[in-house]
Amino acid sequence: MTIKRRGAAIMSAVAALSMLAVSGCSSGSSSNTNTGSSSSVVVDSSFDLKTADPAREFETTGAIVAHALYESLLTFNGDDVTKPVDGLASYKISDDAKVVTLTMKAGHTFSDGTPVTVDDAVFSLERVQGIKGNPSFLLDGVKVAKVDDHTLTLTSAHANPALPFILPNGALGIVNSKVVKANGGTTDANDKAEAFLNKTSAGSGPYQLESYDVASQVVFTANTKYTGSEKPGHGRVVLRNVAGPTQKLNIQAGDSQVALDLNPDQAKEVQGGDLKTISGASPYMIFLLMNQNQAVNKFTSNQDFMTAVRRGIDYGKIVSLAGTGAVQPGGVIPSLFVGALKSDPSNSFDATAAKASLAKSGYSGEEIPLNFPNDITVQGLELQSIAASVQAQLKTIGINVKLAPQPVATELDAYRGGKESIGLWYWGPDYPDPADYLVFTPGQLVGLRAGWAANASPSITALANKAQAATGNDARQAAYEDLQRAMNKTGPFIPLLQPAKNVVTAGTISSVSLNPVWTIDLAGIK
Amino acid sequence: MSLEQGLTRPRFRLPATLRNPMAVVGASIILLWILVAAVISHIWPVDPLAQNFDRLLPPGAAHWFGTDQLGRDVLSRTLAGSQTSLPLSLLLVVCAMILGGSLGAIAGYFGKAIDETIMRIADLVFAFPTIILAMVIAAALGPSLTNAVIAMLIVSWPSYARVMRSLVIGARGSEYVIAGRLMGSGAFTSLWRDILPNVLAPLLVLATLDVGTAILLLSGLSFLGLGAVPPTPDWGAMVSDGVQQFSSWWIAVFPGLAILSVVLAFNFLGDAWRDSLDPRTADAVQGRAI
Repeated sequence: MTIKRRGAAIMSAVAALSMLAVSGCSSGSSSNTNTGSSSSVVVDSSFDLKTADPAREFETTGAIVAHALYESLLTFNGDDVTKPVDGLASYKISDDAKVVTLTMKAGHTFSDGTPVTVDDAVFSLERVQGIKGNPSFLLDGVKVAKVDDHTLTLTSAHANPALPFILPNGALGIVNSKVVKANGGTTDANDKAEAFLNKTSAGSGPYQLESYDVASQVVFTANTKYTGSEKPGHGRVVLRNVAGPTQKLNIQAGDSQVALDLNPDQAKEVQGGDLKTISGASPYMIFLLMNQNQAVNKFTSNQDFMTAVRRGIDYGKIVSLAGTGAVQPGGVIPSLFVGALKSDPSNSFDATAAKASLAKSGYSGEEIPLNFPNDITVQGLELQSIAASVQAQLKTIGINVKLAPQPVATELDAYRGGKESIGLWYWGPDYPDPADYLVFTPGQLVGLRAGWAANASPSITALANKAQAATGNDARQAAYEDLQRAMNKTGPFIPLLQPAKNVVTAGTISSVSLNPVWTIDLAGIK
Repeated sequence: MSLEQGLTRPRFRLPATLRNPMAVVGASIILLWILVAAVISHIWPVDPLAQNFDRLLPPGAAHWFGTDQLGRDVLSRTLAGSQTSLPLSLLLVVCAMILGGSLGAIAGYFGKAIDETIMRIADLVFAFPTIILAMVIAAALGPSLTNAVIAMLIVSWPSYARVMRSLVIGARGSEYVIAGRLMGSGAFTSLWRDILPNVLAPLLVLATLDVGTAILLLSGLSFLGLGAVPPTPDWGAMVSDGVQQFSSWWIAVFPGLAILSVVLAFNFLGDAWRDSLDPRTADAVQGRAI
């Protein structure tokens, strides 16, 4: 997720709050929890929803909706995002990782009963590219071509081993091309099908759209023509927009069966009774950046000072702020993805080593500003708490950090402009692949925000190029690990933690299927 | 007490204002908080910034007010919060009174174009909701306590200006003022020596009543992240932290009670003072016919 969409997430959080009253009033809605195809289930989520058109959505809630309504060419098994598996098609990737060949599988049908064809696939992907909406960048530089009635190819100019990890994204869900074309759908910016797709779904997913209200709730009914292996657990799913604290009350009162947005402390409070909590690491990575630009701050660009900060942070304590399920990533790549580093001694707490480095750095108590947005929470965790904790820890080794919070709308300019001495931010993945994290290398998007110019570290740039070109899971894993180890030694980023994702379910729910890309598979609620 | 005793022995008499029980309560609470801000919070054994304790401990023997989301002692933070809220609110009210009072006096005394100019600027500020305007200014200047006070000063001077202007207009036609002018005193001497002592009391009452509003406004800005910069203990910011930790009620409740007590105390005192200066309102408040 790039930062552009984050502002929208905040706006929608505000909208979510204002919807409190509405959801409170509608909480009397019936929620029969018998299992079986006629039963219904209520899922509470705090919305950042904008559209139900897969080619336009790139929001967390949008991904939940798109995954329920549309199938994609490839998918992931459960929460394992390290290995793409067959969806509507099976795939082969060429040795140079430039061509992905997809062979459509027979037997999949849309909700109107017509079969899913290769033309639908080509139309859907070209439509995502042509609309130039939020998810269009997923297929940047990719040429979609129909080969025959069962096969299509995706060709990239450069090696693109991340493509199979991108294809399961809900935004690349396959729509019924005849229906969408009949309702204004095109593969260019003139597409007018969004209004139609916000009322009626045209996919082959386990659910159909029954009703859609972008601000309050989305109702799904089972797609009777769905031919996938796993039938939906409930005939009807109501996805409601409810803020975190109210989600807690609703699930405790039995008014909802699944709550998606409880923070760690709230999740802890509902423990006991027959509610179940599933905690795991989220794919969001919260990090510190230390500006490498001498003009911004002469200390944060000093290697000894950087090491002192890196070793002076008590990572265990910070992770404990985020509760059960939170983890410290070994490098910038979250623990869930290919290429993740388990741990790295460079990023470990050692007050003695930190003090020794600090003594060498020539620093003598000058005030160093730590900039962060004070109105942002990541999975219910406030960045402000982390900043205050970091400040207290660095104080004990002798670094005088001054907190400099700003509303995100103001602070983003300083972050994007590379003007922060020390910054505290987070990165949400656009797709579950390590290639999404090359932006942290010298001269790239986030690298530049830390004043890390393209020529700042030729050795790390070389490792980044090597990682980008690597093909095959093992080679990529090794290349990205090397890259992260090098970045942890001399780079400006200190990955602090991945906050926990907590999902609380009622006793009547026996299992849910979570995934970092689409949060929850509504069909997997049993 | 016999009449004789009363006549023969000179007694200490409470100022008229403090003869109201509510005023006594208010004054005691304020004195207590001043004591806390000036002395107790400085010698309190627990560091309000130390993150040494278990997180989110409910109130108990070790931590009377519990601990917050970072493992800081809520009691010591509430006490330390008085060091920011009280002095800054008083400072703000004094500044607003001086600024607004001066402008209002000038407007009222000189009238005409000067009056129109100053009062239209005041109307301009009045046209916006106070907290919204303060938020906009504080957000534009960046979060810090100094900027919050500046923002609040900009929004709070006009009420003083209005009151002062109407008082000065009433007083400037009085015989003693005219007499003073005839004896050769200039405009500012007249304002300072003849008018000011006669119009100051209502302004002071307004200021006393305003301290409570100022504390609320400052807490409001801190609550929104536009006032105190963390980790500075501040009541408004603490309430904001507490809202994030919905069910750890103690994080928000204790600083909230602190705000409540100070605001109430200043209101009691202000009310009593107003009543003692203007017996008609006292009678009205106590249900007697005027």
